[in-house]
Amino acid sequence: MRFALAILAAAVLAGTAAAQVETTRATVFAAASLTDAFPKIAPHARFSFAGSNALAAQIRQGAPADVFASANTALPEALHADGFCSKPVVFTRNTLVLIVPSSNPADIHSVYDLRRKGIKLVIADKGVPVGSYTLQVLKNMNLSAVLKNVVSRENDVREVLAKVALNEADAGFVYSTDARTVPKKVKVLKIPAWAQPKVQYGICVVSASHNKPGASAFIKRVLSPAGQKILLRYGFLPRVKR
Amino acid sequence: MSLRRALFGALTFGAAALALVFLVLPVAAIFLRVPPRKLVHQLSSPIVTDALIVSAKTTAIAQLLILLFGTPLAYLVASRRFRGRSFVVTLIELPLVLPPAVAGLGLLAALGRSGLLGTDIPFTQTAVVLAVAFVASPLYIRQAIASFEAVDPNLVAAARTLGAGPERTFFHVVLPLARGGLAAGTALSFARGLGEFGATIMFAGSLQGVTQTLPLAIYSAFAIDFDTAIAMGALLVAVSAALLILLKLVLAWQPSRQTSSFLSARSS
Repeated sequence: MRFALAILAAAVLAGTAAAQVETTRATVFAAASLTDAFPKIAPHARFSFAGSNALAAQIRQGAPADVFASANTALPEALHADGFCSKPVVFTRNTLVLIVPSSNPADIHSVYDLRRKGIKLVIADKGVPVGSYTLQVLKNMNLSAVLKNVVSRENDVREVLAKVALNEADAGFVYSTDARTVPKKVKVLKIPAWAQPKVQYGICVVSASHNKPGASAFIKRVLSPAGQKILLRYGFLPRVKR
Repeated sequence: MSLRRALFGALTFGAAALALVFLVLPVAAIFLRVPPRKLVHQLSSPIVTDALIVSAKTTAIAQLLILLFGTPLAYLVASRRFRGRSFVVTLIELPLVLPPAVAGLGLLAALGRSGLLGTDIPFTQTAVVLAVAFVASPLYIRQAIASFEAVDPNLVAAARTLGAGPERTFFHVVLPLARGGLAAGTALSFARGLGEFGATIMFAGSLQGVTQTLPLAIYSAFAIDFDTAIAMGALLVAVSAALLILLKLVLAWQPSRQTSSFLSARSS
């Protein structure tokens, strides 16, 4: 038993030692829409991309994140209020678009065409930021009735994108930055500016982080001119409206 | 010498205790996390009841299809010797070792709108049934093959000599003798079907009251309301445990040979 415990203790020690070597390598929990841009800003960071709400829930359960980058400000603000992360700052903005498969099987040419019966519309779940933005757009356009045509509520924006890009769904709401990643597979239909929700991304340092210097360095990089330039290149909007 | 023996005993006991605690702890934690009264309250939310209905309905239909089509397949494989038989058995077992996400991709590639057969099945309850049937059927069919093989061929031959046709022999001799193993296979594949997640979320999506099964609802609730997720988890633990106990009871009723055929799960 003592021998087994010794082996166990050695294994645990070795594991923590290995983890401690990488002090500068931040673990970043980031919204799925940042999947392509973030690794370009900090190639050496470790990323976990998912729906922002799932990531926030994981952080509340003690997940070992250093940075939380959310597709809204509400989730990091709520984490901050409960002492789970620092005061969030806005680091970029985005817009919502409607996408259809490039073959456009349901012949959709505007958001208003979604009212037609039998259309297979895929949106994100209401807890996911893009899901609540979608509901806002539909409300702004007085189109909440099209929710009847929803065939699936996905867990993050990239799952919505995948279902439309695969031609399984007739239409879906995603960020304009997601639509750009598969230009050959989906067609983008713009949403009028007056119906756009305010899509602001918030970032914060996780309070339980063991690597706060690494976390701060990552956030600094994202906010730096170089980081912002990369975000713009991927279609994100400047963090402050000009 | 006796020191070594004592050390060996202590090590074995310690490792066994550690393994047991490791297996029990997460399950116990689910029930300790939310007090029973709150648990019952969470279970009455429409998200939970809708998911429970979708899960029960799709898993039951899938299981029916598995029995209806899997039993003849298992019987043929068990009673015939033909070239490529072990290849067929491998094909049957493949979904068992396939990652569920790969199963979802395969179903989309085969039955998606722009898939091989080009159907309108994705996002419907039928899609959930097919996903469940695909991942759960090998558990039943494997077990059914083993149970049919364990039936004494002399009894089958005697029935045929006495003038019973193949159909009568099957229903009156083979099926009753194999029923314990078949029931065990049914319980196992039902439990696997109830827990199906990856293939379903890829092939059928997730919509409350239509395609959102309990595991999908747990995943979705996890990001919004941890207590509801835990309550649904407790529900699934209870149902799965009941199935397992049922399985043990069924096996206990059977002659020991059938029990061992289940345990060795011959796949020849």
